[in-house]
Amino acid sequence: MLKKIFLPVLLVFVLVISGCVKTKSEVEEGTKPGNDGKGDQSKVTIELLGMSTNESDLNIVRDQLVKNGFDVKLNMQPDYGSFKSQQDAGNYDIAMTGWTTVTGNPDYAVRSLFKTGGDYSVISDPELDKLIDQAGTETPEEYEATYKAFEEHLVFNKAYIVPLYSSYKTQAVNKDVLNLDSVRLSKSRSLPWEYIEFNYTSKNATDPLVLSQSASTLTSLDPIKGNDGSINIINTNMNVRLVNLTDDDQITSEGSLSLNHSIAEGNSEYYFLLRDDINFAKVEGKNAVDSGERVGSDDVIFTLNRAKDKDSVPDHRTYTLHEHIKNAEVVTDLASLETIKQSGSDATVKEMLEEGLDTKISALVDDKTDANNKEGKYQVIKVTTTEPFPQVLNYLAHQSAGIVSKKQVESINTFDVASFDVNKDIPYGDQNTVTEGSQYNNTLYASGPYILTSKNDYEAAFKKNPGYMKGTENEPKISNVTMRFIKDPDSTLAALRNNEIHMFYAVPETKYDIIENDSKLSLQSMESNAVSYLSFNPENREVSESEDLRKAILYTINQDDFISFYKGNKLKAFSTVSTLVKTGNELNADLAKAKEYLAKYKETK
Amino acid sequence: MKTQKDIEKKKVLKLSPEYTQSSFTWITSLTLTMIFLLNCYDFTTQAIKPFVFSAFLAYAVFTLIQVIITLMIRRDLLTTGAVRKSTRRLGFVQLLSIFTGNVFVVSFAFSLMKERKTPEYTFAVYMVLTQFFIISISALNLFKPYVSDTFLIAMIILVTIMVFQIVATILVAKYVTHNRTERWMTWIAIPLLLTAVTGNFFALLLGYGLLMKGRSTDQSRIDKWDTMWGKITRNTTSILGLFFIIFMFSISVCSIFTFDYSLAIENNYGALLLEPSIMYPMGTDDFGRDLFSRIVFGARISLIVGFVSTIVPAIIGGALGAFAGYYGHRTDNIVMRLLDVLYAVPGILLAIAIIAAFGANITNLIIALSVGSIPTYARTMRANVLMVSNYQFVDSARALGSSDFSIIFRQVIPNSLAPMIVKATLTIGSAVIATSSLSYLGLGVEPHIPEWGNILKLGSTYLETNSYLAIYPGLAIIALVLSFNFLGDGLRDAMDPKLD
Repeated sequence: MLKKIFLPVLLVFVLVISGCVKTKSEVEEGTKPGNDGKGDQSKVTIELLGMSTNESDLNIVRDQLVKNGFDVKLNMQPDYGSFKSQQDAGNYDIAMTGWTTVTGNPDYAVRSLFKTGGDYSVISDPELDKLIDQAGTETPEEYEATYKAFEEHLVFNKAYIVPLYSSYKTQAVNKDVLNLDSVRLSKSRSLPWEYIEFNYTSKNATDPLVLSQSASTLTSLDPIKGNDGSINIINTNMNVRLVNLTDDDQITSEGSLSLNHSIAEGNSEYYFLLRDDINFAKVEGKNAVDSGERVGSDDVIFTLNRAKDKDSVPDHRTYTLHEHIKNAEVVTDLASLETIKQSGSDATVKEMLEEGLDTKISALVDDKTDANNKEGKYQVIKVTTTEPFPQVLNYLAHQSAGIVSKKQVESINTFDVASFDVNKDIPYGDQNTVTEGSQYNNTLYASGPYILTSKNDYEAAFKKNPGYMKGTENEPKISNVTMRFIKDPDSTLAALRNNEIHMFYAVPETKYDIIENDSKLSLQSMESNAVSYLSFNPENREVSESEDLRKAILYTINQDDFISFYKGNKLKAFSTVSTLVKTGNELNADLAKAKEYLAKYKETK
Repeated sequence: MKTQKDIEKKKVLKLSPEYTQSSFTWITSLTLTMIFLLNCYDFTTQAIKPFVFSAFLAYAVFTLIQVIITLMIRRDLLTTGAVRKSTRRLGFVQLLSIFTGNVFVVSFAFSLMKERKTPEYTFAVYMVLTQFFIISISALNLFKPYVSDTFLIAMIILVTIMVFQIVATILVAKYVTHNRTERWMTWIAIPLLLTAVTGNFFALLLGYGLLMKGRSTDQSRIDKWDTMWGKITRNTTSILGLFFIIFMFSISVCSIFTFDYSLAIENNYGALLLEPSIMYPMGTDDFGRDLFSRIVFGARISLIVGFVSTIVPAIIGGALGAFAGYYGHRTDNIVMRLLDVLYAVPGILLAIAIIAAFGANITNLIIALSVGSIPTYARTMRANVLMVSNYQFVDSARALGSSDFSIIFRQVIPNSLAPMIVKATLTIGSAVIATSSLSYLGLGVEPHIPEWGNILKLGSTYLETNSYLAIYPGLAIIALVLSFNFLGDGLRDAMDPKLD
């Protein structure tokens, strides 16, 4: 009885279900563009190289390529070191990389990446070289068109890179502890510590400000010997510079060694009026003391000369940033400043340098100990560039141009650079000299607001420089700073929420919700100069030979997918300069074009 | 005098499998009910979730009935010493809980309904249960935007198989006893064996049991089979463990046809981080992939790696241990000392080193996990072989002129196998965990491939905001490992001669 009913019921059920259920092929027939079955249907295999920190991005790129007829071999490396060695060995077709323009000027964003022979460049294209050099000499109004042409050649014409997105710069602050208004967030420059204060200002002298960073191995505390995440913030706060960047990347003398600065007519000469209220700090018994030595013209000249000279120290990492500096000298002839006009205005350089000063310049002195601003005795530095190059100021605002003590550095770096022996010679700023243990011998002289007293694998301790701009608004508010080394962002966030640290710099996009829902935390965010992009292997691969294949990949990548994955917390990008110069270029995924170029590539193969 | 009576009462209750299973069932069922109760209220929006709430109600009703049944069984046992027919009929009511997916209550219902339970009856019941759960889980795909091309035909086949299995179960309940069955049951047994291609190994066990009981004349073999499986099937936790393992295995096989792989690996930016719903029963992850499909497909890798990386060292280690134990002296010393060296290297560290050196893929993962556990199997086997090779039947085989080779493989190994099987079952669980751990560390399979460790790793990022992304894969791993451990315990009890 039951069985008799069952079969018809089953049949009816199946019929009903098959009527309303859509199978995959039915759905796909409707949505996907018709495949006429002609042409080469074989898949092109692409080897995608990246770091495991970019796992999500790699997955999106992989997914987009796979959906559009590529086969993807994923090569994911656990850290930057192994990634770099894979890249150097050429084991990739596409590598996922990123770039952050810490100097805030477009020249830096292109020169070392895309110019023939640049620090990180794998591209050699005369057209690009020409445009980079041309834009370097131009003013912001002029270079917009040049960079637009550069970008078009880089991306549309040649498809050397595939831009993915640009990021926001974020930091989470514990607003119950820190005075939120005193914590700055700047587009390019590192966080200045000297302005930060506690809500209860009485704690400034006693309690440490606790920050965090992921890298515990510090490349070098000599500013010219490193330019990476492990030391950028530390060296920025340990060494003062001739000029600074504002939060939106304008050049300013505020909080720097100069009281004022001026560009002379012709854009090749730059004048800086030095202040007299900064002394170097040194470490005695793990305490910061005033060394009694003033930061002055001889230190500036020494610093700039060694910054541009490739052979001034072993393993110099930043000389390309300063290659436009031709000369730095002290100006003692006050009258000469009155005759030189400032670039783009009728005022003289002297007028510009005197702007806002309580005591006007009465004399210029050669010896830094003779300077006394109250009496009108000042020091002026003149920097000359090899060619008209206004963006040199951005490089002077970079941490690598941080002023070091001539006397101290010369007394430590006594070795011959050419025959430097890493096992015997200890250069200035070697992290071992500040690491607790038998090798501890802190010889640092800091011209900036703070000095590193000691570090271990877990944290670094900083003390306020007692001789730094005393009595001004730039005097460091908090006396002690502790930098905790916490490797992974999840633990950092946990430490922030447990009040172990007071700030978390570079919050991952996935954690925004948590911070916004925590009443004691505040999330600060602004557009940054960080751009992620894909670069192609320049040698011995199909992608290096075939422009069509590169373009097929270029038009396959859809930036909108990244933006929706990051819940709108990323921005479209076109190249590494597009965050600095509004060129108006935009890359949109175009699957039809991608197919067309892929077909072209297959024909020529 | 009174205390004497109390002790006897306790003994009656303790000896009754129905009463212990009934107690176990209402407790687990109550736990599940409480979980639903806690989850049915959304504290942030202050609203009741209708779907979870109705599940809670259904579970509560069956738990209540279960409590009543437990009390009735208790009363029956204390007054008459046996469970009454009227109480057993309540099993039919509890059978309805199959539609709520409460496997504990259902399995109890089946066991309450029949007074004299043969292992075949239990196999049959769990076979049908497995099939039912496979079909219901696959049927959830109907709510997806689309289903795989083979979905309909596969579902029809699965339903047909289930109908046949229900019929077979009824026949088994009627015609199979502890020592024999009708000879015509062969014609049921053979198609049952065929249905095991869906991965439903209960059908395989049942078919084999029926064939043996229907055709074999060797009564001792039947007794042995009946005793061993009888012990396992009477052990509720171990049979539930076996059920979950077979269910997972079967869903891995059936999902090839009933699930669409693209939903598990292709990103869908229109459905990022969705809460669980009928379309996405476990929600979607941050790439918009269906978590439910990912877990189902992930079972395949976890099981394959778990099984293979247990079998490979069991065979290699077993062979080495057998030779070492049988030949003794120098062979023993050389083999065991070399293995001691291997034993000194921590297993997971060795695995990480192997993966780092040769790259991450499934084959290397299996090799990495296998190598480290060879020594433990060799030790187990060697100890057994040392014992067995002194028995008289080995001596007599030697006296009859058998070669060493034949003695080892015909006499020694088969008689030393029981502890190896138990050990293997118990270590599959740790192999599954090791696989997931390596994937969690980013050393397993590629991140987009669904594997439980991978899924859990991704979920751990969203522990606070979208906790379901970590909870479901975590539960899956726990359940599978727990099942292997329960089954291992049951096997040990069944195979250990000391416990006879």
